[in-house]
Amino acid sequence: MKYITAYTLWLVVFFVIPLIIILSFSFLEKTPYGGVNFSFSLEGYKSLLTIGYLRILWRTVWISIISTFITIIFALPTAYYIAKSKFKNFLLLLVVIPFWTNSLIRIYAWIFVLGNNGIINQFLKLIGLVDSHIQFLYNPWAVILVIVYTYLPYAIIPLYAAIERLDNSIFEAALDLGCSKRKAFFKVLIPNIKAGLVASIIFVLIPAMGSYAIPDLVGGVNSKMIGNEIARQLTTAKNWPAASAISSILTLITLLGVIIFVKSSKKEVLN
Amino acid sequence: MKKFWITLILVVIVIIVTIVAIPKKKVLYIYNWEEYIPQEVIESFEKEYNCTVVYDSFASNEEMYAKIKAGGSGYDIVFPSGDHVSIMKKEGMLLKLDLSKIPNFKYLDENVLNKTTYDPNHEYSVPYMLGSTGICVNKKYVKDYKHSWSIYEDERLKGHMTLLDDMREVLGGALKYLGYSVNTTNPDEIEQAKNLVLKWKQNIVKFDASSYANGIVNGEYWVVHGYAEDIFQRVPEGEEENYDFFIPEEGGTLWIDNMVILKDAKHVDLAYKFINHILDPKNAALIADFLGLPSPNVEARKYITTEPIYTIEELKNCEFIEDVGEYIDLYNKAWQEIIM
Repeated sequence: MKYITAYTLWLVVFFVIPLIIILSFSFLEKTPYGGVNFSFSLEGYKSLLTIGYLRILWRTVWISIISTFITIIFALPTAYYIAKSKFKNFLLLLVVIPFWTNSLIRIYAWIFVLGNNGIINQFLKLIGLVDSHIQFLYNPWAVILVIVYTYLPYAIIPLYAAIERLDNSIFEAALDLGCSKRKAFFKVLIPNIKAGLVASIIFVLIPAMGSYAIPDLVGGVNSKMIGNEIARQLTTAKNWPAASAISSILTLITLLGVIIFVKSSKKEVLN
Repeated sequence: MKKFWITLILVVIVIIVTIVAIPKKKVLYIYNWEEYIPQEVIESFEKEYNCTVVYDSFASNEEMYAKIKAGGSGYDIVFPSGDHVSIMKKEGMLLKLDLSKIPNFKYLDENVLNKTTYDPNHEYSVPYMLGSTGICVNKKYVKDYKHSWSIYEDERLKGHMTLLDDMREVLGGALKYLGYSVNTTNPDEIEQAKNLVLKWKQNIVKFDASSYANGIVNGEYWVVHGYAEDIFQRVPEGEEENYDFFIPEEGGTLWIDNMVILKDAKHVDLAYKFINHILDPKNAALIADFLGLPSPNVEARKYITTEPIYTIEELKNCEFIEDVGEYIDLYNKAWQEIIM
């Protein structure tokens, strides 16, 4: 018990209490210049009932899900290769190297590479393939690309941990008993690394849902996500209850998603 | 386990001793726009009054306001623009100034002092700098254009332009283009401005307030809406003539950034001295040279060595963004429909 006291304390002070504050602010009345009146009101939630919010929420969800899916597709073979390689430690080191650079700088680097005047466009212009430029950035797909790039290491590491523990002989047994390679992948590998897979998906999906800097920098006129809207309500619109209401809804959606996801995957493992 | 506790206690003791034992210099906490005061002006202040200046920066008035409103910011001096001085005054966040403690106040230009409608008697704020938000064109890529907001309707420039990610600035520009006041409270005029911005939106890459200055300098964007000092601080030496910063002929928005002392400031005396230091003509000249903006300090104009990007006279068509009170919801609604 005493080993987790510190962590529990940490969670309560830096997570549970702020969450309660946000939740209670979302049910209070706004004052014209930010801040709240301490009287009950549902205005914060009512102001979200517009088509604009539905659009932004839907965009956040689909961008996050597609990003997570692509990230896992890349992470799975990478993690498998690293786990089976002779140079595990070195390869793992390579995976975490990007963390040595600030994430904002890495986002700006994408602008440098893919921007209208970036390296790729300059090259295309040089060999005469395009007249002026191709606009790679400033759309939702650019946001997905950078999310995948940013969160790939978070997906690789839990998958690696799960695959590394597996005994090679279970694959040999499967193949010996007449299982095709594809079947071995879906029927032997995937069920055995389920826990790692769930962890990877959660590690990518949740931060992706809360993206703020990525859509701000490489997104365009139509790729604002819910994180940007929370910031806007808090600052420009000076509507704190609305900002809290969006945050609460976002937390609720991710929480529900995670619970359903973890529960259903546990059941399948048992079966 | 025992060992762990002993180590922990030792570490805590060491930290406390270091905090207590370090000789206490007075510290002045400033919350200001990024790169808004040249380092030498801050250093000369630190030397003169044997203190340390902590300079934190914000990217927008709204960001600054939200942080201070949330409480416990610990800052002494803040540099809000006029509309936010008015808001902070109403919310009782500012200290009433004793101008006798700021003798250099007398150097400020009467013309500028008359414009501070948000604080007509200078009871709470002292002007720091003024200017206009404008449009900057990279002439390497764009040869033929008019000094007008209509540049955002030019389809040849589609995909190369940005507007600020700032509700009042963008709607203000559209309102000016339509011949209305940037502080209008007429829903119909705001509606027209919204439709105009929606048209501009089809030609711009994005609403950008954080990276437009880098963007125009490295060729990513050709036309940007923003602040001259932000852009010209990044332009490499000798390439200045490639960049044309102009205030649209229809007029634009005007801003005055001010120095205010927060009500719960802990270093009020030092804060007064700092404001006075900034208004010292030689320092004011250094600041104007650094930013490339016209100085509101009459005496400082004798010491200025570089020519400002625009002069105070050129700002005659421009209008202040004022706090419009509850009518702000009209703007919020229009802006929401634009960006979502």
